[in-house]
Amino acid sequence: MNKLPKFIYTNQFGLLCLVIIFSIFFSLVTDGFSSRFNLYALTRVASIDIMVGLAMMVVILTGGLNLSLGALGVSAAMFGGWCMQSLGIPIIPSVLLILLFGTFLGWINGYVTVKTGVHSFIVTLATMSIYFGFMTVLTEAQSFKYLPDAFTDIGSMKLFYKYVSPLLLFSLFIGCVLFYLFNFTDIGRKLIAAGANPSAAELSGISVNRMFVYCHMLSGFLAAVAGIMVTMRIGAAIPSIAGHLGFDWLLPAFLAPVLGGTLLSGGKITVFGTILGAILVSLITNGLLLLDVGIFWVRFFLGVILLGTVLIDKARAYFTEKNMIIS
Amino acid sequence: MNKLYSNLFKKDWFGLLIVVFFGAIIISLLKPAFISPFNIYVLMSSISLMLLVAMSQMIIIAIGQMNLSVGAIGGLAAISFAGLMEVYHMPISISACLGIIIGVAAGFFNGYITAKTGISAFIITLATLYIFKGINLGITEAQPFYKIPEAIRFFGNEKIISPIPYLIIIPLIIVFMMWLLMTRTKIGRYMLAYGNSIQSSELMGISSTKIVITAHVISGLLAAIGGMLVVCRLSLGTPNIGDSWLLPSFAAPVIGGALLAGGKVDVLATALGVVIVAIISQALVIFKVDPFFVQIFLGFMILFAVLVNRYREYQEENKKKLFSHE
Amino acid sequence: MNSEYCLEIKETNKTFPGVKALDNANFKLKKGSIHALVGENGAGKSTLIKLITGVYKPDSGEILINNEKTNLNSPNDAILKGVSVVHQERNLIRRFSVGENLMLNNLPKNLFNLINFKEVYKQSKKWLDILDLDIDPETIVSDLTVAKMQLCEIAKALSMQSKILLLDEPTSSLSPQDVENLFKLLKKIVNEERVSIVFVSHKLEEVFQICNYVTVLRDGKNACKSEKIENLDRKQLVKLMIGREEQIVESNKKIDDNSNKVLELENVNTYLGHKKINMYLKKGEILGLYGLVGAGRTELAKSIVGIEKILSGNIKLNSKPIQISSAKEALEKYRIGYISEDRKKEGLILMHNVLDNTGITVWSQLKKYFNFLDDITIAKKVVPYIDKLEVKTPSNYQLTSNLSGGNQQKISVAKWLAAGTDILFIDEPTVGIDVKTKGYLHELIINLSKNGTTIVLISSDMPEMINLADRIIVMKNFIIKGEIYNDHNYQSISSSIMEYIHD
Repeated sequence: MNKLPKFIYTNQFGLLCLVIIFSIFFSLVTDGFSSRFNLYALTRVASIDIMVGLAMMVVILTGGLNLSLGALGVSAAMFGGWCMQSLGIPIIPSVLLILLFGTFLGWINGYVTVKTGVHSFIVTLATMSIYFGFMTVLTEAQSFKYLPDAFTDIGSMKLFYKYVSPLLLFSLFIGCVLFYLFNFTDIGRKLIAAGANPSAAELSGISVNRMFVYCHMLSGFLAAVAGIMVTMRIGAAIPSIAGHLGFDWLLPAFLAPVLGGTLLSGGKITVFGTILGAILVSLITNGLLLLDVGIFWVRFFLGVILLGTVLIDKARAYFTEKNMIIS
Repeated sequence: MNKLYSNLFKKDWFGLLIVVFFGAIIISLLKPAFISPFNIYVLMSSISLMLLVAMSQMIIIAIGQMNLSVGAIGGLAAISFAGLMEVYHMPISISACLGIIIGVAAGFFNGYITAKTGISAFIITLATLYIFKGINLGITEAQPFYKIPEAIRFFGNEKIISPIPYLIIIPLIIVFMMWLLMTRTKIGRYMLAYGNSIQSSELMGISSTKIVITAHVISGLLAAIGGMLVVCRLSLGTPNIGDSWLLPSFAAPVIGGALLAGGKVDVLATALGVVIVAIISQALVIFKVDPFFVQIFLGFMILFAVLVNRYREYQEENKKKLFSHE
Repeated sequence: MNSEYCLEIKETNKTFPGVKALDNANFKLKKGSIHALVGENGAGKSTLIKLITGVYKPDSGEILINNEKTNLNSPNDAILKGVSVVHQERNLIRRFSVGENLMLNNLPKNLFNLINFKEVYKQSKKWLDILDLDIDPETIVSDLTVAKMQLCEIAKALSMQSKILLLDEPTSSLSPQDVENLFKLLKKIVNEERVSIVFVSHKLEEVFQICNYVTVLRDGKNACKSEKIENLDRKQLVKLMIGREEQIVESNKKIDDNSNKVLELENVNTYLGHKKINMYLKKGEILGLYGLVGAGRTELAKSIVGIEKILSGNIKLNSKPIQISSAKEALEKYRIGYISEDRKKEGLILMHNVLDNTGITVWSQLKKYFNFLDDITIAKKVVPYIDKLEVKTPSNYQLTSNLSGGNQQKISVAKWLAAGTDILFIDEPTVGIDVKTKGYLHELIINLSKNGTTIVLISSDMPEMINLADRIIVMKNFIIKGEIYNDHNYQSISSSIMEYIHD
């Protein structure tokens, strides 16, 4: 009997199985899950969750957190709305400005964290309020509903026999770029080394502080992308797309990387795992809603899943360590 | 006399008291409406509610951890309290008991898992934040409970004597008890010892498990009481009670000099931190400033307070360094 | 039955993965005596201490306290049996008062179950007075000097009714006056409170000053068992401690006096506390930095390499003044590297694999257009070094955490070989490493130096130092005590070194 390929033992394989199992389960148990309409909606939601999960993942890499990614994404989206609607800037430059803006806000997070030595939890807890507050005050909580058609049309485009939204493809594309970054570039390796063991990385010639700032900038960039996508999906730039203070994004942002096998202590990330984790979260949310479970209980289930995942992960670490000591 | 002054200045709360005092004076000179009985009453009511939120987080900061679920626990207790009275027509005392039980149980859940698994409290309470909030929404389906007994409304809104609301009685008692706990009881001192150095406290025979669980139970209890007080004030049990607690729950202890690493909290200073945040929020309203500026301001205040605290610790450490190198 | 021994360790063994820390070790503490436990780093002292204090359990052998066989399953068990330890690092609650720390296990309470602080201070004063300590119990611990903190820890041990007191390197941060006070106190508690003391120290003059008995450990075994101190003199004691088989490897390089000074330090003061450091490095030499734990050698290396700050003074590289602001600059601009003594925390990224660890110093060099860098390119560069060092690993993708200590150390060296530095600081390269790998690394160091790399070797291992170094600088308390030209004659050089250390 041949040895099973290594992939079977990974977290990602387990996730893939879960995705398949749940998909089958929901198609059988609900009417409408596998409908064209529903799957299309699912791909749109999943695309956002993937971006948001990746945005958190790159900061978890540093052993830190980005609580402000919701507020950041909304701020970037509103900034974009203002550019396109109020200033009349064409789409492509506007998009570039949005991304620049998001990266800039991410830079602020990173710079303050690194310069002050305060944990990114507190820094982003503070910037979450600051960004959201400024955004609300400056836009007077008004929405930008009259965005260029070409822009919003992407949000409602349907591909592949109307099953898939281009937003999903775009998210997957970004996932691939990140995969390339972390596995095939010099800078990507340095980011990972800096997160895994900052002292060792610093001694080996890596500027750890700079790497951490880059991670935060990347997180801001990805959060801005998520903001763009939501705006495309809704067709308008609204202050509430991520909930109060951006809280709504935090659950998928955490769940996706953690489910995927990213270590909260830093140094180990998995792009593929995070994507699968995001897909699983969207899938379960979607399925539960169709089952009339009520959007309210969905949050409960996701919280339980998060708790369960970290407990299982801890148990796994405990037993591997035990085995290592014995052997 | 000099020794008295220098001792006072060392206390965290003294500096804050000065800030509160002068701040209040300046604001009332600019806008006399600030010290109108009505305004002071509103101020005291909001302070009453916030005190419990701050204390709930403070005790967890004392042991060097974080409790992200304070709002969720408060909210769950709040709707259970209201719901029991409206739907099952239970008397106030029984409903309040349920609220308390929920707070204790939730806190125990958080503390037990944190203590037994060694997973960071941050992640555990992030998960339970959604779990408790989820249960809350699941039960209420986002609908508030309206039918609250008159006695509750009275307690939450009437005054004992002009500006002093009934609402403040319980928080004041609790602040006093927390002060006793952290300064004069064995378990409180053990908690601070644990927050100072887990290793040293364990070497001295302090049980980490007991400390962590007790702290989280108290935190949950205080959050629950806070939630129920909000119900009294609003005369409603709405599911979004607790949603905005996270930031202020950290702001007040940190302004009060607490170190997030643990082992250093000051009950009185935290209470004054609550007062400062409340005064600022009020002042912004009176000056007709956009309420969202409060958010921005709170954010900056937290950053500023954390930096100041770190700087003070850094100065203390440097002083010691000079000592030890002969 | 009353025995004259309050503590006995009989034929204990303790093995950790790859290392036998204790090999049939014995230790007997007579009641009312002060008993020294000495030995080099890695001899097994700290393991033995951890057995006595309940942190570890012996694999085999017996522990007897007051003639009763005892199983110590936790530090708390040891405390209950009357064993207290005062560690090298302080274990008081710094923000609490002295009195509260002393009484923490036994807080006096009033009617309402609240702590009666008046009583706390009164009772703690009692213990402070017994030891003649002029300390106000209301003082906050962090306001005390380190010496006073230590004395308070001893007072606490007494207050917990401990009859066996373990002191681990008690004088490492004390001034001569503090040491005198401490010794006066120790004699007092032994005579008046019937406490027995285990005194662990590197400072032999103190051992002779205050101890009645001595046990020497070497490589996990007893080099001597419970000798009366009067039966030994310093030379004999040193011989017992370090006497081991000569290593096979010996450097037969000739020192070239005319070679250039590649690195010079002039009157350097560092942020970490070094004062007036003057030293130089000649191209291709192996300069040894010898000293005991706490001498400041690692800190000096880190300051030179740019990780810690230099406050004043000059550093010259090939006669040109330079300023190094980070390890990155040291490596990329000046080709200076530092191999850390703590390979698990600073030398390696344990959760990453062999290839990632070895390549980390050369990624910048190897990257191509658009920052592209794949494993194949990295492997091409670093695998030769992995092979050269004969690292035993099933594949390049093996996690370094799964390698043996010796192979881990080889990887942490390999990455710096791949980097190709001109000057290399090597900090404690063979601590906890098996003998074969040790010899291998020694050969490697000598060959590197023969091929032109200048090496600064930090080591507390005397034979290693004397075998490898061309010149030896002795450090103590963050200053340089002396410099010795090494003719590799073990007797004479080791004596010279010890003289600088123990003056």
